[in-house]
Amino acid sequence: MMDQTANGWIRRVLIVLKKELRDHSRDRRSLMLALIYPMLGPMLVAGGLYLAGKTLQGDFRERFVEVPAVGIERVPDLKAYLENNNVRFSVAPPARQDQEDAVREGRLPVVLIVPDRVSGQNAFTIELITNTGRVDNLRVTARLSAIVRGFNDRIADQKALAAGLPTGYATTVKIARINVARDANIAVFFYNMVPPLVIFMIFLGGVHLAIDTTVGERERGSLEPLLLAPVERWVLLLAKALAALAFTGVTTVVNLSAFRVFMGLAASSSDRLVAPPGWEVFAVIFAVTIPLMAIAVALQMSVAVITRSMKEAQIYLGLLPLVPALPGMVMVFSPMNPTDVTVAVPVLGQMLLINQLIGEQALDPQHVLIASLSTILSAALIFGLAAKWFRREKMFVLG
Amino acid sequence: MIEIDGLTKRFDQVQALAGLSLTAQDGRVTGLIGPNGAGKTTAFRIVYGLLTPDQGAARVDGVDVAKNRMLAQRQLGVLPDVRGLYPRLSAREHIRYFGQLHGAHGAALETDIDDLITRLGMTDFADRLAKGFSRGQELKVALGRALVHRPHNLILDEPTNGLDVMSSRAVRELIAEMKAEGHCILISSHIMSEVSLLCDDLVIVSEGRTVASGTPDELRTQTGAEDLEEVFVRVLARHPANASADTKAAQ
Repeated sequence: MMDQTANGWIRRVLIVLKKELRDHSRDRRSLMLALIYPMLGPMLVAGGLYLAGKTLQGDFRERFVEVPAVGIERVPDLKAYLENNNVRFSVAPPARQDQEDAVREGRLPVVLIVPDRVSGQNAFTIELITNTGRVDNLRVTARLSAIVRGFNDRIADQKALAAGLPTGYATTVKIARINVARDANIAVFFYNMVPPLVIFMIFLGGVHLAIDTTVGERERGSLEPLLLAPVERWVLLLAKALAALAFTGVTTVVNLSAFRVFMGLAASSSDRLVAPPGWEVFAVIFAVTIPLMAIAVALQMSVAVITRSMKEAQIYLGLLPLVPALPGMVMVFSPMNPTDVTVAVPVLGQMLLINQLIGEQALDPQHVLIASLSTILSAALIFGLAAKWFRREKMFVLG
Repeated sequence: MIEIDGLTKRFDQVQALAGLSLTAQDGRVTGLIGPNGAGKTTAFRIVYGLLTPDQGAARVDGVDVAKNRMLAQRQLGVLPDVRGLYPRLSAREHIRYFGQLHGAHGAALETDIDDLITRLGMTDFADRLAKGFSRGQELKVALGRALVHRPHNLILDEPTNGLDVMSSRAVRELIAEMKAEGHCILISSHIMSEVSLLCDDLVIVSEGRTVASGTPDELRTQTGAEDLEEVFVRVLARHPANASADTKAAQ
């Protein structure tokens, strides 16, 4: 006789769970989604961080910048001033069209042109061919502009002194910048991209399994034999959800580990980039995202059981990860502070907590509790609906 | 024993069952035959607890399926028309999975699995993954899955559909053995020669209700026809709406 006790249904859950894990561990698509896909986002972010480190980081004052120039010998004072500020001049193409093409196509960062008419003039205009669509170009343009501003200030002060006026006569207000940001701020910008990408992957990790074990089983005709077994329908769905949760967990571990490893490597490529948060922070992020995994799987199961075909389920569930990831992307540019109310919003609460963790801020235990309870209760409610829908006759009659 | 008592079932505009009644006795093979769309699959699905009837009841060994689905399912082994295997599980894993779902476990289950593998002639593919199985191999796995919990009652939907001569014969022999052991067996088939060979009782269904029932000899006497195919055609001919479709089905 079948065991009707609590242990009985737990045993049945374990039987179905074990079967699903065995089945899907032999499925290339499930494994790809769990083990390979989660590495792509981290590789892209780390690649961007590496390039940004090479392109943007470093102290400009300590480095020479090479500026292709035409006619710079016509303004010897400016030339000397620029050279004293670590500018080196190289030869630029003589024809205007060639100069513009070279800058537009990125072969030259900029071209500085000192026209003929400038020779012997006290005030003059120099031209800078620039391309603001390129990061390397922005860097040289900003650097040159700053140095030329310094040159103008010096000349103005010299003229003021010669006329018996105080220094600063021509420039009433100067801005002295005191930058309190770490040199690593560009790295932090990249680290802030981690939360939405982690959440995106959480909503993707178990999706193939959720579809395959529900609407997929119906399409293959294996659902009907399964429902002939004396097992509660909710037990079947719970076991399938737990299998999807297990794959989501593996996906998240791979995803977080890949972020830590790849971003660590990228950050170590430049002494100007701060290292990403430590492994212990990523371990806490994993713990904080467990309720998020539960709600992701509950949503996947509920969508999968009401769709009529795998194709339909794939369309809906392909869009699902974008919904929670979008607010996260917004928060990359416009951070939101966690409060008792905002963390109580399912999914948003975890997003805020992960943002705090990535920013290496301390978590408020009350926020963690509120966010976890709210999201887990929502997941349970959604799963309850999915289990109710799973009992419908349409599950078997149509499709 | 399987009892179907005045079942009605409607899907939107379609009246799938309209008061179907039949009894399948222990130690006998009862054949449920009828044209496509007559309601056989719907009736089976109500008996094994997948659908709930609008009216009437289905009972397995006296257990009302609608009231106690899981208890009824424990007494029932089913071979559905769609075999529905998992391509990434082996034949042995399929049988073990369903045995476990029915509460079996341990050495006793493994012995039963080995017995079934031998009995159904599955030894050479028992540990291969199901992807790429022939229809005959699929059917054997589905049969093993249906029998592993030693059910007293069996529902077999088109049990030899798509099988070669030798496999069909093996399945017929298995059914005969189980009948001799006292099992209640309810089958559905379009193959009249098979029905003739296997069935002790026949129930002919049309438009969701029973239109004739009895032993093959009784039905031959009632219709004045010699072979069962002709019996089937003549019974359905009494119901003009089915006449043309039934002739095609019998062919």
